[in-house]
Amino acid sequence: MILQVENPVVEVHDLTVSYDRKPVLWGIDLTLPAGALVGVIGPNGAGKSTLIKAMMDLLPVGSGYVRIFDKPIDEVRTRISYVPQRESVDWDFPASVFDVVLMGSYGKLGLFRRPRKADKDAAMDALQKVGMQSFANRQISQLSGGQQQRVFLARALAQNADIYFMDEPFAGVDIATESAIIELLRIMREQGKTVIVVHHDLQSATEYFDWVVLLNMRLVASGPTEQVLTQDLLEQTYGGKLTVLTKVGELLKKQEFPSRES
Amino acid sequence: MNAFWIILTGSLVATCCSLLGCYLILRRMAMVGDAISHAVLPGIVIAFLFTGSRESVPMLIGAGLLGVFTTFLIEFFHRYARVQADASIGVTFTWLFAIGIILISVFAGQVDLDQDCVLYGEIAYVPLDLWITEGGLSLGPRTLWTIGIVTVLIILFIVLGYKELFLTTFDPAYAAAIGISTSVWYYSLMTAVSLTTVASFESVGAILVVALLVAPPATAYLLTDNFKKMLLLSVMAGILASAAGYYLAVWIDGSIAGAIATVTGIEFMLAFLFSPSRGILLKRKQLKPTQH
Repeated sequence: MILQVENPVVEVHDLTVSYDRKPVLWGIDLTLPAGALVGVIGPNGAGKSTLIKAMMDLLPVGSGYVRIFDKPIDEVRTRISYVPQRESVDWDFPASVFDVVLMGSYGKLGLFRRPRKADKDAAMDALQKVGMQSFANRQISQLSGGQQQRVFLARALAQNADIYFMDEPFAGVDIATESAIIELLRIMREQGKTVIVVHHDLQSATEYFDWVVLLNMRLVASGPTEQVLTQDLLEQTYGGKLTVLTKVGELLKKQEFPSRES
Repeated sequence: MNAFWIILTGSLVATCCSLLGCYLILRRMAMVGDAISHAVLPGIVIAFLFTGSRESVPMLIGAGLLGVFTTFLIEFFHRYARVQADASIGVTFTWLFAIGIILISVFAGQVDLDQDCVLYGEIAYVPLDLWITEGGLSLGPRTLWTIGIVTVLIILFIVLGYKELFLTTFDPAYAAAIGISTSVWYYSLMTAVSLTTVASFESVGAILVVALLVAPPATAYLLTDNFKKMLLLSVMAGILASAAGYYLAVWIDGSIAGAIATVTGIEFMLAFLFSPSRGILLKRKQLKPTQH
């Protein structure tokens, strides 16, 4: 079930990525529609992060190519934003929350130009959207996991890009942050932006995304959520492990337990 | 006047090293500074063999190229041979340094350089080597001009590239995604470190450059949470160490470079003990991060 769209925002053609000559992604061929909230879903080690990194050309690619807005990626860098995994940076870095969010303006400013008032206002505005304006001068080492995630999101918002790649933005955050983030993502979609999210929680996936990419080293499926998140396709993605998961999921639904940890 | 020249030279060396060191320690690459400072030796010798003089410009070029080559090799072994980063640093710089030593000993007759001078430097000789124009006008110590120009270049580099250096140091993946080349800034930074090392090797020597590259930034890191303040404090710590080190050396009648490095160590210990935010004695009550 791999659905191709017309006039895609992202076009991935025959993409293969290997680490150390061991392939982690095999012949990925997919197109993503504009203005969608896209979830990239699959088991651990399926190459989800690798896929979005390869889409942004952050990794050496074995074969294939990626086009964004029907252009080579280097021509559209200023329209792209990225929310890396929280753990990818050193949070003891001597910087304030505001310093980090202001980085969102760096790409558009170009060489030798300093952020001006408009950029600082945009950064403050972005902080407000994630509910962190009162933390602007806070040292980043003093933030909780959820707050760190909000800061990263604010930095991406300050950039005012057209397409956003997010690597596990919901990993290890509290429920308040998770719903705040999803609310923002929906607003972004309303504004016609495309958001591509690496996600691992199947329960919430149905509710959050309108397009889902199922991945397990190969592309299993890509299409509208309701057509993709089927028992059959999920089993193909997760293999035997899923049966346990579905049983637990059904059990939880029946008993109306809260469906998420933490 | 001699004291003034020596302290000024020391302060300029300290300024360059302290500024660049801030980026190195935050990138967890302090030992790359160590590697570069040793590995430039063959570059210096080769430049010397080609030109037959101790002119600064060819030496700066030779050493600069070698410095960048070193960082390239370190990256290469780490990434493609999958050797640990520190092992890759260790193999690369000792090998290049050894080649430098062999070059010096083989061409001993032609090379007016010796290992001791390269390793330990002698800042006390700075005022002796004056730059005197054909008209007989003394323009001050030659070394001072070299390091002075390098200092201006380094400060310009950091001011003009401030936001790119800041971003590629903090979050290289994001920088690359939004179109800021991490390798351009990485290799520019390494070129700057190489230039600084070679401009300072005559005065403080290859080994003590490492002290100035690491200790003042580490001291400043303990004292502040703001990156701009860290750069500033690091420079202040470096300059203070140069001045205090000079008088310490005069007092004990010992090596000036050694005394400067000793003072940087003392500064670090003081910061470690008394830093308001991270010191072990005067730790302020901090807002602990709330668990999510």
